[in-house]
Amino acid sequence: MTAVAISFGKFIVDLMHLAGGTALLIRRSIRESLYRPHYLRLIIDQCYQIGFRSMGLVFATALSTGMVMALQFGYGLEKFGGKLYVPKLVALSIIRELGPVFTSLMLAARVGAGIASEIGSMTVTQQIDAIRALGTSPIKTIVVPRIIATTFCLPLLTIMANTVGIFGGMIVSVTELGMDSSFFIQKVAYTVTMQDYMIGMFKTLVFGFVIAVSSCYFGMTASAGTRGVGIATTRAVVTSSIIIVMSDFFLTKLFWILIKWTS
Amino acid sequence: MDVIKVNDFQKSFGAKVVHTGVTFKVKEGECLGLIGGSGCGKSLILRSLIGLEKPDAGSIEIDGVDITNMSEEDLVDVRKKAAYVFQGGALFDSMNVYENLAYPLREHTKLGEKEISKRIDDMLQEFGLEGNQKIFPANLSGGMQKRLGLARAIIIGPKIVLYDEPTAGLDPFNTKKIQDMILRLKTKGVTSILVTHDMPSAFAVCDRIAMLKNGKIVAEGTRAQIDSSHGGLLHDFINGDEVSGGK
Repeated sequence: MTAVAISFGKFIVDLMHLAGGTALLIRRSIRESLYRPHYLRLIIDQCYQIGFRSMGLVFATALSTGMVMALQFGYGLEKFGGKLYVPKLVALSIIRELGPVFTSLMLAARVGAGIASEIGSMTVTQQIDAIRALGTSPIKTIVVPRIIATTFCLPLLTIMANTVGIFGGMIVSVTELGMDSSFFIQKVAYTVTMQDYMIGMFKTLVFGFVIAVSSCYFGMTASAGTRGVGIATTRAVVTSSIIIVMSDFFLTKLFWILIKWTS
Repeated sequence: MDVIKVNDFQKSFGAKVVHTGVTFKVKEGECLGLIGGSGCGKSLILRSLIGLEKPDAGSIEIDGVDITNMSEEDLVDVRKKAAYVFQGGALFDSMNVYENLAYPLREHTKLGEKEISKRIDDMLQEFGLEGNQKIFPANLSGGMQKRLGLARAIIIGPKIVLYDEPTAGLDPFNTKKIQDMILRLKTKGVTSILVTHDMPSAFAVCDRIAMLKNGKIVAEGTRAQIDSSHGGLLHDFINGDEVSGGK
């Protein structure tokens, strides 16, 4: 019983450390990003690393998701004569939920792990200290470019994932379910509204920020050599993924409340 | 004039007390050797002198400015004046030799790329690293990494240089090269602190030596002064009789 209480207490303390640490990191990042010098070249470089180089993974995930969904919905609804609803179901599921969430989880795994391990290695080999010792700021040169690039690139990758996912659904609908491609496109265009798109985009802005901040935080606080880098990397991916999955519900709910309130 | 003043420096990490009141001064152009057993907190003092660590109590003055409670932003000016040579070099492994050396120049000077290139070529020549501009740090030998770390630290011409075991693990040839570099900087009026276990290097380049033990400076002066006033303390340290300077 005591051991459980101690573990729980330690968990709460760790949670407070994480909350306080990330809050301070966000505050410093916002403050330092307001003042010169601005490292535009580093931001562009990170956009390439984070955005462009994640395109293959996002493409493959989105394509297979769209194809599997069309197949599952197609065969499932066929029994009830509901095959015609496949385009609508695939499009709405992908644009509202699966596109943003799957893309974010993929990025949390690929980019989150990359950021945490890179910064963690820099921390344990004193490169972060060297940046400070040379009179420059690791927040400005390391953290801010990654936060901006991830927050900016994730919505763009999600747009691509949505398009590719629907395209995957269309391929299966045409080849496996015998649907006409123009019918599929027409149904998607008729079903999906700008609102659906905006909910997904809004969520990915938040998710991108969460991935970058938590990965940078765990990287900057890595200690105890290579083992510490491994632990930091795992924590970054797990924390980002949990926050994405858990906050997804609340963000969706919040957005719907806003929509009802404004309409 | 005292360029570095440390007064009653105290530092603990949780229950582990490292320093209980370290006090020393370094005059302009002087080189102070800081020696002591492993884990006694020599590097910690050095890190604190450029604000990488904050003392729990006491004060630190660099070139007449109290840096004890300075923010990271305010420390930029101090860090332009005081360079830190890391024990392992702390080179940026994603940048090649040229980029590593160009980093401080691009950040703190208004030099154009041509002038930066010229300055880097001169520096590489001076440190015996010419022709390695495009090599990444991981592909350099330990001695070359140390020399590159030193070159990067001093490339913008600091007034103070803090050396953290610059000769550790080096062969006699590279050790001599580093010693010569430190002496060359001394002749230019650079004030420095050398943290080392390498006593021949300390004796070769330092004007005074301070010995750290149990969280305090227990002996300070020239080699002869320490030997005469602390009966064999240095002799014991050199011969391994005084192995534990830590707390």
